[in-house]
Amino acid sequence: MTGGWRALLRLLAVQGTWNYERMLGVGMGYAAEPLLEDLKTVDPVRHSEAIVRSTEFFNCNPNLAGLALGATTRAEYEAVPGDQIARLRTALCSPLGALGDELFWTGAVPALVGAALAAVVLGAGWWAIVGLLIVYNLFRLATAIWSLRTGFDAGMKVGAAISASWVPRAVARVGPVAGFTVGVAIPLVAGWFLRGFGWPGGLGALALAAVGVMVTRWFGPGLNTVRFTLLAMLLLLLFRRVGL
Amino acid sequence: MIELQLHGALLLIVWGMVVALDLVSVPQGLLSRPLVAGTVAGWIAGDLEAGLRMGVLFECFALDVLPIGAVRYPDYGPATVVAAALAAHAPWEFGLGVSALLGLVLSVIGGWSLQFVRRWNARAIQRRAAALAAGGSSAIRRLQYGGLLRDALRGAVLTVVGLAAAWLIARVMPTARQTAVGLSLVAVGGALAAAISGAVRSAGRGARLRWLIGGAAVGVLLAVLT
Repeated sequence: MTGGWRALLRLLAVQGTWNYERMLGVGMGYAAEPLLEDLKTVDPVRHSEAIVRSTEFFNCNPNLAGLALGATTRAEYEAVPGDQIARLRTALCSPLGALGDELFWTGAVPALVGAALAAVVLGAGWWAIVGLLIVYNLFRLATAIWSLRTGFDAGMKVGAAISASWVPRAVARVGPVAGFTVGVAIPLVAGWFLRGFGWPGGLGALALAAVGVMVTRWFGPGLNTVRFTLLAMLLLLLFRRVGL
Repeated sequence: MIELQLHGALLLIVWGMVVALDLVSVPQGLLSRPLVAGTVAGWIAGDLEAGLRMGVLFECFALDVLPIGAVRYPDYGPATVVAAALAAHAPWEFGLGVSALLGLVLSVIGGWSLQFVRRWNARAIQRRAAALAAGGSSAIRRLQYGGLLRDALRGAVLTVVGLAAAWLIARVMPTARQTAVGLSLVAVGGALAAAISGAVRSAGRGARLRWLIGGAAVGVLLAVLT
């Protein structure tokens, strides 16, 4: 796979031109460019068509985008008909989005962030942040390398390769870990902040938190937790202003 | 509160730009997480502890965000950078609330600015639609670098505006101590509400919810013991 490392680096910026029309499309084209270079000398017409296809609408979790990139690149070199490649791209959007989001955004990220929050509160300080960055980025880079290689090796059979891979199993396991670490972190963070305010202040903040959870559940997404907090702050400032 | 020299302010603007870029564009390496953004900003402002506090507070708000698909969410990166700078060198019980207020407003503006950049990107693509349809590699590169530049500009502008507001707040609007403590308590209450809401929503009703409850029990035990 010529240009693999350049493509990998470019995949880190796959969302650089994110927009509501093509979503990751142009970013995918940017990442595909080094991989398709050899095609330029072999079949310039096909190369041009492949570049056009690579920039069309595409959306998935950016950390698994390499699977689609590798698979479609392989298909271009194998001269698979263009409409089949376009269908493959479309078919990969939803599963790569769902798996990647569960693996990263609702899995690994909250799991590691929860652990880092707990570590900071327990006295690890900035070492917890260094650890968070190292562990996450190693995992994420390893996933990106695996994705690109697996996609390229599997080509049009990438769906079967994903099903047989470690990803679905990891998705099932990382969720409970995230639940546990975030669960540990929240009471620790509450204690860390509220200890400085004494019992009345602490109980007041906890009561506000309970009201916030209920109110945002009933009136969300119109009233989210940021708006709720800003509203409570503005009310406090207003009451202080009128002397209550 | 904010006692920055020019080089400190410049470093904060560069850092704000980096964390804004990291959120969506490049490299998505968790630099934009409030815990990271706030700690580094606190270190630049000369008060690591304040940065950690602001980072932890805004991280709780960020736990309520799922950046899935085209969902719209606040941008906590530059907001945490500015809030950490404002909170630096002040007793945290007084500085936390005012800084959080500014940071939360900035995070909402940051969310809107993301939509603006995304529409800007779409317009840029439409202008180069013919070159893209012809398979022009240089058009792709220009669009990509343009997108990154627009996002970097967004982060820099957000941080500059935020730092200017922080400077004004620190000098023009001194807050009474009782009000400052009240704001801090509201900020902590709101942050806990956000963290709990996000955790419960992500947990659903399956095994993850049981692990969340188990983790919370361990967390309460650790909070009591430490």
